[in-house]
Amino acid sequence: MLKLFEHETLDVHNLGDEETAIGVKDLSLQFGQKPVLQNISLRIPKHRITALIGQSGCGKSTLISSFNRMNDLVPDCQYTGGIFINGRNINDKREDVSQLRTQVGIVFQRPNPFPMSIYDNVSYGLRLKGIKVRRYLDDAVEQALKEAALWDEVKDRLFDSARILSGGQQQRLVIARALALKPDILLLDEPTSALDPLTTLFIEELMAGLKKRCTIVIVTHNMQQAARVSDYTAFLHQGQLVEYADSDTLFTMPEFKQTEDYITGRYG
Amino acid sequence: MINIKFHRLLSPSQRQSFVMSITAFFSAILLLALGSMLSLICYRGLAYFWPSPIYTVSYYDAKLEQASVVYGQIFNEYEEHGEYIRWFLYSSVNHPTGNQMLLEQSNTLSVVESANSANITLKDGRTVMGVPAKLNNDGRLDYSPQRYLDMANRVAEIQTDIDNIQVQHLSQIHQQLAQLDTQDVADDAPARHKLNNGFSLWQQKIESLERQRNSYVLDVAMADGQTVAIPLADIESVFVPGQLNLLGRWQVFLRNIGQFLVQAPKQANTAGGVFPALFGTVLMVLVMTLIVAPFGVMAAVYLSEYAPDNFLTSAIRISVSNMASVPSIVYGVFGLGFFVYTLGGNIDSLLFSDTLPAPTMGTPGLFWAALTMAMLTLPVVIVATEEGLRRVPQGLRASSYALGATKAETVLRIVLPMASPGIMTGIILAIARAAGEVAPLMLVGAVKFAPNLPVDGDFPYFHLDRQFMHLGVLIYDGAFHSQTDAKGASMMFATCLLLLLVVVTLNILAVILRARLRNRYLVN
Repeated sequence: MLKLFEHETLDVHNLGDEETAIGVKDLSLQFGQKPVLQNISLRIPKHRITALIGQSGCGKSTLISSFNRMNDLVPDCQYTGGIFINGRNINDKREDVSQLRTQVGIVFQRPNPFPMSIYDNVSYGLRLKGIKVRRYLDDAVEQALKEAALWDEVKDRLFDSARILSGGQQQRLVIARALALKPDILLLDEPTSALDPLTTLFIEELMAGLKKRCTIVIVTHNMQQAARVSDYTAFLHQGQLVEYADSDTLFTMPEFKQTEDYITGRYG
Repeated sequence: MINIKFHRLLSPSQRQSFVMSITAFFSAILLLALGSMLSLICYRGLAYFWPSPIYTVSYYDAKLEQASVVYGQIFNEYEEHGEYIRWFLYSSVNHPTGNQMLLEQSNTLSVVESANSANITLKDGRTVMGVPAKLNNDGRLDYSPQRYLDMANRVAEIQTDIDNIQVQHLSQIHQQLAQLDTQDVADDAPARHKLNNGFSLWQQKIESLERQRNSYVLDVAMADGQTVAIPLADIESVFVPGQLNLLGRWQVFLRNIGQFLVQAPKQANTAGGVFPALFGTVLMVLVMTLIVAPFGVMAAVYLSEYAPDNFLTSAIRISVSNMASVPSIVYGVFGLGFFVYTLGGNIDSLLFSDTLPAPTMGTPGLFWAALTMAMLTLPVVIVATEEGLRRVPQGLRASSYALGATKAETVLRIVLPMASPGIMTGIILAIARAAGEVAPLMLVGAVKFAPNLPVDGDFPYFHLDRQFMHLGVLIYDGAFHSQTDAKGASMMFATCLLLLLVVVTLNILAVILRARLRNRYLVN
């Protein structure tokens, strides 16, 4: 019975273009003189949850941020290589970054709602796109909040400040804010590390539900979480991709010693 | 050699409490200084409005070598060289509208509070102290407040008639005559004769009305029994301080405050009200705020959000901070030299060349004053705004970018609203500084007396090129009067109190606004 809910396992090393959401090819990145990522190549499958694990400072947050060019905000950031989303190399200088970021949403570690009402928070991205029709916004806000499993808790106070929400609610609000733009890919950068275990579980369930809608890439420090929620896992060490496989394999029979040491807690 | 070892005298805990006592002592001194300044200004300022008693003063007049008696008010009393001296403002037959004298105790025969003497305020701001005896209009009637009010009303009616004739008829004839002048009509043309006849007819009517008006006279008895006749048309108010109960005193007090706020200054800024100065101060501060807020905020946004982090930016930032400590008179000289003479002069030669050499914009005025004050307060706004911008968390900016916002959209929608408490802080500081500044204003537009307000009913309604009156300048003026004129000094304190109130009110408004913004945009 359980098998019904699980996907067939794909071979991530020989992924076809049709099944690839993000294709990273020879990506190297450095902040000033400090190399952060070295020759990363991997293909992230569509409609799956892929986890990035590794020590602090190994470059996993930087990698996830390069999927929607958030690293551009860091001064002195230089990169080479390609990242292909929908057949386009987003590292191209001509790429419309605003447009890209509406397709590839990102949620950060700390929940950071804007100092506005819940409604304005969720509709922020849509308004930026120039959508002003009230009914459309209303529907989009409701749908995004439902997808983020927050609707029932806030439907009576949509116009109250988002600051009054709890930490877990705020994080779901931030997810709803990203979902309102109907992204193809959702990047989660340690989304639960500031939350309590119960709320964490709640957000993990949310991710499993969202898988049908979009591709999810999650950075986490929590091995159990990576094993629980992700279909595929990539292990990074000092800016290099060490091992990338489906989660069951990686967590039970890691190919490399480094991976085994990390997931068994020998360092990290 | 005396070598006291303090650490042996005091135990460690004693030494700590010693430090506390010293610091507390200095804080207490500070509080005391602040409190005494405020209470002095409040006391002297409010005392200006409180009806002071009128005394019957008998004294030996050393000049006339005889005893004299006058009605007078004590302005000040003090001891000098062992002698007790009173500073009197008094009315006599020779000086009905007030004079002042210093009276030594040795020459004073008696000082008794007068029950009947009235404080008669004239429309030009001067005061007569005496007993209202008779009301005179084709026959003499004994004074009573009711009769006085009836007669005053009649005088007011006549005055309205005179004003109506002047506005409706005389000014029309003037205009028609001026038209004839521009059309080069001969001096003896019949049209001129007709107008001139009409003019003299109305003139005669006015003269007869004026005679009628001036026939209403109040006879005031001085302390020595002689009377002085005062035309009713000149009198503004009559009240007898000796007969006022507490409620009456409060009424006079409040009426005085009201008149102080709405009337124009009289008698070279030693009497009357300060309305033009209050108006000028508030308007100047408002115009300055409208100039400095956008300039300062935009400069700060560029410096903090867009400017590259290099030597030039740091140099600009340091210069801006240092601009705040440039003495204000330097700004005044700059305003006069650059705004008034250079900028205004060039505008004149470009746009108003037909009225030259009389300057239109090339003369000190309210707009140049506001611009100069904006220069002066710009660093405050820039520094406070930058501080506010820096406090906006990077995470929020990143979140905005992550939703597809451009830099400009992020600045406008997220960063600026969140920095608004900081911006308000800057504007508050700017307002407080600008409202209290005097020296630069005297160079670029504030004057002791301006005949017109900078806003009136004539097109284009806002005359920002006009010179204006300012509370600070009025205080400065009053401080110089205070050496010669007792009443000028009292008015200085009252004006001081008002200036304090204006600054405090503007500050409180801005603080409330800032608190509301902060409440709205506070990040947890």
